[in-house]
This record gives sequence, structure tokens and C-alpha cells, in this order.
Amino acid sequence: MIEILSNAALATVQDLGRLGSLRFGVGTAGAMDDLALAAGNLLLGNEAGAAGIEIPVFPFKVRFTDDCAFALTGADCGARLDATPLLPWWSHQARAGQVLTLGLPQGAQRASRALLCLPGGVDVPEVLGSRSTQMRGAFGGHEGRALRKGDVLRAAEPERACRTGFGLVPPAVALPLEIGGLIALRVLPGAEYLGFDAASRDAFWASEWRITAQSDRYGYRLAGEVLQPLAPMELRSHGIVPGVIQVPHNGQPIIQMRDAQPSGGYPKFGAVIEADLWRLGQAPIGSRIRFIETRWEEAVAALEQKEAWLAKVARMVALHRSAPMEIAA
Amino acid sequence: MKKTAHELREIAGWMAETDIGFLELRMPGATVRLGRRSEEVVTLDDGQRADAQVDGRAGAPDQNPAGLHPDTVTAGSVGVFLHAHPCATAPFVRTGTEVLAGQTLGLLRIGVLLLPVVASRAGTVAALRAGDGATVGYGAPLVDLHSF
Repeated sequence: MIEILSNAALATVQDLGRLGSLRFGVGTAGAMDDLALAAGNLLLGNEAGAAGIEIPVFPFKVRFTDDCAFALTGADCGARLDATPLLPWWSHQARAGQVLTLGLPQGAQRASRALLCLPGGVDVPEVLGSRSTQMRGAFGGHEGRALRKGDVLRAAEPERACRTGFGLVPPAVALPLEIGGLIALRVLPGAEYLGFDAASRDAFWASEWRITAQSDRYGYRLAGEVLQPLAPMELRSHGIVPGVIQVPHNGQPIIQMRDAQPSGGYPKFGAVIEADLWRLGQAPIGSRIRFIETRWEEAVAALEQKEAWLAKVARMVALHRSAPMEIAA
Repeated sequence: MKKTAHELREIAGWMAETDIGFLELRMPGATVRLGRRSEEVVTLDDGQRADAQVDGRAGAPDQNPAGLHPDTVTAGSVGVFLHAHPCATAPFVRTGTEVLAGQTLGLLRIGVLLLPVVASRAGTVAALRAGDGATVGYGAPLVDLHSF
């Protein structure tokens, strides 16, 4: 078991999301960096979609009440187990009583969310096919809410022996996508794209966008050029999904994220492709991003590339875990 | 492409001469895994692919397969030697760094995987024998350690 020792503001239990419930008005939730969650699980020999803990605010501190393997992926937070520094994107072994501390994200590829995975996943009940915390509906995850100091969580397979002490090349290094040192995201033009004037459309692709402080798991509000419609657009509310870029009347885009409500009425300028949502999920508040226009075929290929990376991780980790011990040394 | 029993015996024979503990051969339609049981090289089936499987040999692997300097840490696998973690700029150690037994000296990158290269004993780093990003073969000298 692990006990939360810090005021774990906004840390939540997440899996890969509650898919298939949008028609009931239930949003997807799920890890903002799904690649980090899946990789952390694979490091421990879990199913890629097992539940982990997403940590967006630091410092974050937990005590292991028993011996337990764990994996850290996502943001490199200068983690320590008691006083011992831990490598990021790595599997580790904790002894009973040890305290894990995550500090502020660091490093050249500064990300914003760390993922903590446990053997078998975090043991919380499945609701509507997922263990993700649905904040709006206050269900799923740990009691339908963010974690608090004093909360105790259990690994689903706490006794399972895991080979630890190895890691992965982080996907920000293995699958980089940048323009001029800024995180870049591929975007499919949306249904109302041509309803914006040509100068706005050009500016969208050519300029930098800052992620404002009004950004969270629900959505990222961006600041940059004002995007002007050719004529005011009034739409009825319609279904939207994570990644959709809406432009409200102030002309400053909002990107819907994992906790987005499932419907909205603002014009849709475009959609960040599913394969790049993890990059956006790790982009810190205050950082600047760029957009790259893409096509359906490229978006599908990007998803295949992401899945191929995960398949390679699964294969290499399985091979390493099955090898005699001395290779691990 | 399927290996004959004769070829497998030959490969097992080569393997027995080294301190390689595990070998996987992937061919179209077949995968063969060879491992050590006591002094023997045996074929491992899927049922033996449990976590943390340890073979029968006692003690640590021979760090000195090619008659190298006794304090040389060598590569336990083919891979790319990294002086620093991909997220970091500072190397794990430099010449002159004092290290404890088991301390990470560098990493071996094998595809997407990163394995630690650890100090076989406490000492001082005398030299980094392989460059950062160098592709190294099995048993290649990576780090020289001086005893205190």
C-alpha cells in the first residue's frame, strides 16, 4: 500500500480513459500523457491500460507501507526514494517504510506531469469500463476525486515480484516533434476552419501559441493572434472530443483535454490528432507551442507509429524481464 | 531459415565458451531461447519465462572475459553506451569520480531499453573507455576503476 504524505493537489488515478460512454454524456477522462502511463505499466509487466497516478503538482510525497515495485514515467521530477536519487522513465523497488518524493520537473525536455505505476495497477473499482477519475461526475478513480493527504492506495498485485532497475528512452527523445525548439502538434482542420479569414488561418499555423494559466485537464486556453471569423458563427451544441480546438468570440483558441465536457457550441477550428495529445498533455503552463497542418492519412500513420513504439517497448521489456538475472546487471 | 538441431547444438557450444547467459534467436516462424542451467546451455520454453529467473551459476558474471585490466567494467550486452541519461546533460561519472559498488556509471541503450552499467566495486573512475553514444559489442571495456 502507499500512503499520500503531501497535499496532493490535483493528483488523480487515471487509466487510458473511459471510452465508449460519450453517448451517455460521460467524458473520457484518462491520463493526459497516455504514452507515459502505458510505458510505466509495461515496465512493470502490467497491461498497458492499468490504472496509475497522474501527478501535476509538486512536491508530491508517498510512503510505501510494504515492499513494492513501482515505475516512474512522464515528467522528470528529480525523484528520490528516501535520500537516493532515482532515474526517470525507470522501474524501481521500494522497501517498506521508504518515502518517494517528486520535486519540480527538470531537464531539457521539461514536462509537467509525472506518472506513478504500481504492480497490477492501482486497485480502484472499475466504473463504466474504466478506473479513471471522472471529476465532473465525481465517480471513478479513488472515490471520484483528486487524492488528498492521508489517502491510502493499494497495488492490485502488491506481492508480485518484478524485475526492476531498468528503463526506457523517453518518447520525447525517441519520437520528437518540434519547430524551433517548441513542442509541435499536428492538427486536422475542423468543420468551421474555412469560416475563419485567410489571415487568421495563416497565423494559426505560422505563429507561436502560449499555454495560459487558465489551462488544466478540462482544456488549454491559448494566447496568440486573434482568430477572426468571416462572419459570426452561432452553432447548436454538438459532440466534441479531447483534441478539438474551439474558437470562442474572443478569438483565442481552447483545446479540449481529457476532462472536457462531451458537447460544446463554439466553432471548431481544428483538432489536435489523437497521437499527439500526450505531447500537449505534458506541455507546461506558460510554454509556447506550434501547430502543423496534417491530413487524415498522416494522423492515422502517426497513431500507428505511436502504437509501434509501445509494441517495441512491450517486446523489449518482456525479453529483458524473462532473461536470466546476470544480463540485467 | 529454421535452424537445424545440429546448428542449435553448435550455437549452444559457442555460447558455453562465453559467459553469455541468455540468447534469443528470432527467425521467421520460430524463436529459440538458449539459457544456462548449471554448466549446461539449454533451450528455454515459454513456461520458463517467469520474472527474475536466475540460472544455476553462482556469483556475479565474469567481468573479465578477455584478460582485461582487472578493474574494467565491460558491456553485458551489445548496445549504445551513454555517459548521461537522455533526460540529463550531466554524465553519471567523470574521470576521478569516486563511486560505490553498484553505483550507476552509465547506461547501455538497446533499442528502446536502457540498462544500467554499474560499478563492480568501490573505487575511482580512472577512464571512460567508450565514448558517449558509442556502439559497443558484448564484453567491450566501458569504464576503468582504480581501487581506493
